[in-house]
Amino acid sequence: MTLRRGLALPAALAGAGLLLALSLHMVTVRSDVAAFLPAGRTPAARVMLQQLRNGPATSLILLGIEGAPPAVLARISRDMTALLGRSGAFSLVENGERALAGPDARFLFRHRYLLSPATTTAAFTTASLHRDFKRLRADLASDAAPLVEQYGLADPPGAFLNLAQIWVGSSPVRVAGGVWFAPHRNRALLLARIRANGLDLVAEGRAVGAIQAAFARADPGPARLLLSGPAVFARDAAHAIRRDVRFISIVSTLLIVALLLWRFRSPLVVAAIAVPILLSISAASLAVQAAFGFVHGIALGFGITMLGVTVDYPVLLIGHRKRGEPAPATLRRIGAAFTLAVATASLGLTGMLFSGVPGLAQLGLFAVVGVLAAAAATRWLLPPLIVLADLAPVSAGEPERLLRIERLRRWRLWGLLPVAAAAAYLLAVGGPRFETDLANLSPVPARARTLDAALRAELGAPDVGQVVLLRGADPEAVLRREAAVLPILHRLRVHGVIGGAEIAARYLPSAAVQRARQAAIPPADVLARRIARAQAGLGFRANAFALFLADAEAARVMAPVTLADMTAPVIAARLQPLLFRAGKNWFGLVLPRGVTDPGRLAAAFRGVAGASEVDVGRETGAIVARSTARAGRWLAIGAAAALAVLAAGLRDVRRVARVLAPIAAAALVTLAVLTALGERLSLVHIVSLQFVAGVGLDYALFFARRQLDAEERARTLRTLATCNAMTLLTFGLLGFCRTPLLRQMGVTVAMGALAAVLFGFLVVGPRPSAA
Amino acid sequence: MPRRRALLAGGLSLAAIGPAGAQPSGAWLDTLMQRLSEIPSRRADFTEQKRIAALAQPLASRGRLIYVRPAQLEKITDAPRAERLIVDGDRLSLSTGGGAARVLSLAASPLVAALVEGVRATLAGDLAGLRRLYVIAAVGGLAGWRLILTPARPPLTRVLRSVTINGAGTDIRAIAVEQTNGDRQLMTITPSS
Repeated sequence: MTLRRGLALPAALAGAGLLLALSLHMVTVRSDVAAFLPAGRTPAARVMLQQLRNGPATSLILLGIEGAPPAVLARISRDMTALLGRSGAFSLVENGERALAGPDARFLFRHRYLLSPATTTAAFTTASLHRDFKRLRADLASDAAPLVEQYGLADPPGAFLNLAQIWVGSSPVRVAGGVWFAPHRNRALLLARIRANGLDLVAEGRAVGAIQAAFARADPGPARLLLSGPAVFARDAAHAIRRDVRFISIVSTLLIVALLLWRFRSPLVVAAIAVPILLSISAASLAVQAAFGFVHGIALGFGITMLGVTVDYPVLLIGHRKRGEPAPATLRRIGAAFTLAVATASLGLTGMLFSGVPGLAQLGLFAVVGVLAAAAATRWLLPPLIVLADLAPVSAGEPERLLRIERLRRWRLWGLLPVAAAAAYLLAVGGPRFETDLANLSPVPARARTLDAALRAELGAPDVGQVVLLRGADPEAVLRREAAVLPILHRLRVHGVIGGAEIAARYLPSAAVQRARQAAIPPADVLARRIARAQAGLGFRANAFALFLADAEAARVMAPVTLADMTAPVIAARLQPLLFRAGKNWFGLVLPRGVTDPGRLAAAFRGVAGASEVDVGRETGAIVARSTARAGRWLAIGAAAALAVLAAGLRDVRRVARVLAPIAAAALVTLAVLTALGERLSLVHIVSLQFVAGVGLDYALFFARRQLDAEERARTLRTLATCNAMTLLTFGLLGFCRTPLLRQMGVTVAMGALAAVLFGFLVVGPRPSAA
Repeated sequence: MPRRRALLAGGLSLAAIGPAGAQPSGAWLDTLMQRLSEIPSRRADFTEQKRIAALAQPLASRGRLIYVRPAQLEKITDAPRAERLIVDGDRLSLSTGGGAARVLSLAASPLVAALVEGVRATLAGDLAGLRRLYVIAAVGGLAGWRLILTPARPPLTRVLRSVTINGAGTDIRAIAVEQTNGDRQLMTITPSS
């Protein structure tokens, strides 16, 4: 018997620990932003958001170097480019030094007559060639002769020059010391593209590490390195989440264990309490893994923290036990309140579960399964263990002191004051402000997003706001549609609706367009005669334009360039985000710059075959609104269900009202304080408030139990104080997290829980006796 | 391509043997560079003969050269057509007649950059700068010398065969450029008083 008594608890604890280790080993943890946010409403929006989150755009890293004289920055930029190029982690490293050189320039030069809009019938007439030759003759006499000879003689119509302008022209960067600089400040700029795709966090981490190492090796002195881009965000978010989760789990575990040891003065109690928690985390992670195929880092980290409140369950059980009492007796006294608390807490998570935001849904599922598992373990597994080890609180507390505390309830009417103040404040400021920007739900801090926008603007990397998607069965079909769109874009630019636009067809015309250009090139014998006539009297040697003749003839008969041919690094990097496959279809992305009139831009593409205009900002705003509305609806349903459960459980309208009053009061005060702090209410706050309601009900139900003797009242008071302290500890700690989402949840829940226990104590508990 | 390399190497070794037979070149070359580096600025007149492969006839021009230590070089052509080429640091601007100047980064054209650097580094007495781009063969002595600059590595080796600079004391007398496409140009320089 003694042996069993001594070993049962440790054995149960070891078993639960082992089970947890096993289940955590079985789940896949992801921490990318994409997995946390919802998909779009329309097919086009879904394709667009998908592209933004894990398309080729996510492999781009924007680099800035500043804080040193321009010459030093240029040298660092050159050294880093060389080092990164050798590292093998990047498919592209550009700093402006060879913006269009090497394989890229060679490819464009070879295919200049197919790719350049300068290839027209008019460009190959004798008169036009004569004008070109005359210009070349003058330039050859100048000091620019080497440049003219390099490209001019083989290309009198200037198709390559025109192409180079298309490729290089759209960027606002300034070149100084041979490398890119921001247009209006002393900041060297670089672009790097990671070889791995946007979801490979390990490769991304390695690539970012390689950049930092290259910067350190480039002898930076006082210079600073700025890094941005989806890959950097993902890595930083993953780091922050991992750091936050580790910080919270260690510190909150230590604090809670310390609190429980102080409260119960027994390591065995702590062991008993740990058993349901460990089991609930296992069950919750496995359930999320089964439902979603992976567990998001935020859901795991925050879910475990949320399950911290399930510590309440074993604490309530042990805290209410009288020493030597058999388990059924304790359960009989608290069973009704306990069941109601569990039911309402689970119903309180519906808003999160059905919000439509995958990350929050995971969190909701994690918490619901965890709460139920912890409750089940407390209800059926723990009682025999507790009785075996005879665990109970050291003392119920001095009834004298209890009475003194309970006397505070005489001033319960004063409790109305903060509630009235909160209501008045909210009325005065016109209610809480709501968040509509999805970006603020993302784990990326606002400061990082600002830097990203600045670097993007300086580099001329398209900032994805309002875009047009063109759909087709294959790249050629998309490019044909884009060819029809080019005049629309031209018109919009002429009218000042847009400043310009990135579109694949400008870099890679459709095969149809290329064939039309081939038809504009005269056959070799015709062209030879025209060249001979055009160069007469200009002093050229007879064979001066032999290369031009040969290249034009080669271009006239070569197979049109296809997407598969565009493999040179800069070219491929530019095209990849603009022309891509998603599912069965191919998509062309048109990225307008400097949009002045979104309405006219949208109208211009209405009715264009295969085109859909997507305003990413509006789309994400709509997603947030929809998710918030859905969360709100489910919150209402959950609340109604909880109310029904309460009504059925308490069977007394007045008691139901007494139980609900402190929760409403706590929610109101929390809302007012959040608004006063300048927070914009987001989905996160709303689901957190719902969570507060669940916890608050827990307190209220226990305060509301019919408890005649003072000793039991003292037990309840002390136990609830312990529970509340634990909630404050864990959620208060979340307030120190770097991940904005966790911080918002922490602050809301900690504040709400404190308000709920205070109002619960004042309002729900029995009126102090007249003495 | 391999044959051209072999030819180049042959030419080089000949050039290297020549001065070694006369006197050790290292000592006077360092002295020459040292003296060149002490001249803060200079002005000179030039005449230039260009033979361009694509043109049937050679082109002739004349004008003035201005150099200011360490990195500014100006070439002002007076005839047959007014033109002004200014190299400052790594920016090159070229204006023809009354037209607006075209500005380009030297990095944009390795050939133009190498030609400019060959002359500028010589004027600055910057031996290390020359050696970054060229293999140097020096013939003669301080009183009359010839530097034969051969591009050290691709892509320059593909377009430029050699730059030859003749001089006497700290005066530069002639600069001859030979490109792989057969273009040659010879600039004859007389210091202006």
